[in-house]
Amino acid sequence: MIQVERVDFVSVPIRSTENARRFYGELLGLHESTTDEDVFPEFETANVTLGMWMPESFELEFVPSPGVALRVPDVPAARAELEAAGVQFDGDTRDTGVCHMAICRDFDGNAVILHRRYAAPRQDGTSHRESAELEGAPS
Amino acid sequence: MSVVTGLDFVAVPSRDAERSRTFYVETLGLRPDDKARFEFWVGETCFGIWEPERMGGTFAPQKNGHWALHVDDVAEARRELEGKGVEFVGEVLDTGVCHMAFFADPDGNDLMLHHRYAPRAES
Repeated sequence: MIQVERVDFVSVPIRSTENARRFYGELLGLHESTTDEDVFPEFETANVTLGMWMPESFELEFVPSPGVALRVPDVPAARAELEAAGVQFDGDTRDTGVCHMAICRDFDGNAVILHRRYAAPRQDGTSHRESAELEGAPS
Repeated sequence: MSVVTGLDFVAVPSRDAERSRTFYVETLGLRPDDKARFEFWVGETCFGIWEPERMGGTFAPQKNGHWALHVDDVAEARRELEGKGVEFVGEVLDTGVCHMAFFADPDGNDLMLHHRYAPRAES
């Protein structure tokens, strides 16, 4: 069995490095770990790197990403701040019974989920989600 | 200081959650969550399988937003997965700093085996 140790990065397809730096760097406040403005930017969350790249510059199709869930202290507050900056959201903030989720779009259309679990953490694990969030999956 | 304090999970769109679970847990050998059947872990990162069509949405696989799975030896891991029927796209890519091997899950979500062999420059 192969040993997959961790996620090195999650690629985020983009169409504009300027848009990416504005959304992930300025609005979300993520640290950009790349130091050369001429390369595709990388942004650091606490546990995973988000690696931007432009598929169309390699003659590949651009398709918006289905989403990563980023933890914020307060979903409605973060949403209000992003909306004031012109960020678009898909529908209302959802209360799953254990967490709040609000799905927004970066400036290239990639889904980004603002997420906060408010229910008590599990006693026997560290999962960040709960089955209740998976209405679309068979039980 | 960012308002974002971490990445909680990566959403895995699927048309068959059981099939996806089999691929990630049995074929790739990733650790299933103790409680949630359709969650699995890659190191400290949670991945959550969901079916958009069961929620009134439209299924679309993640394309060109590869999830880079860290392995010690890309060529060796690729050979092992090929032995299990996983199909890769092209040859192992040597970027000059890392090796990458591209494949997809049964729903067409893009993945890569990844290993950086060059040290990172101090920033």
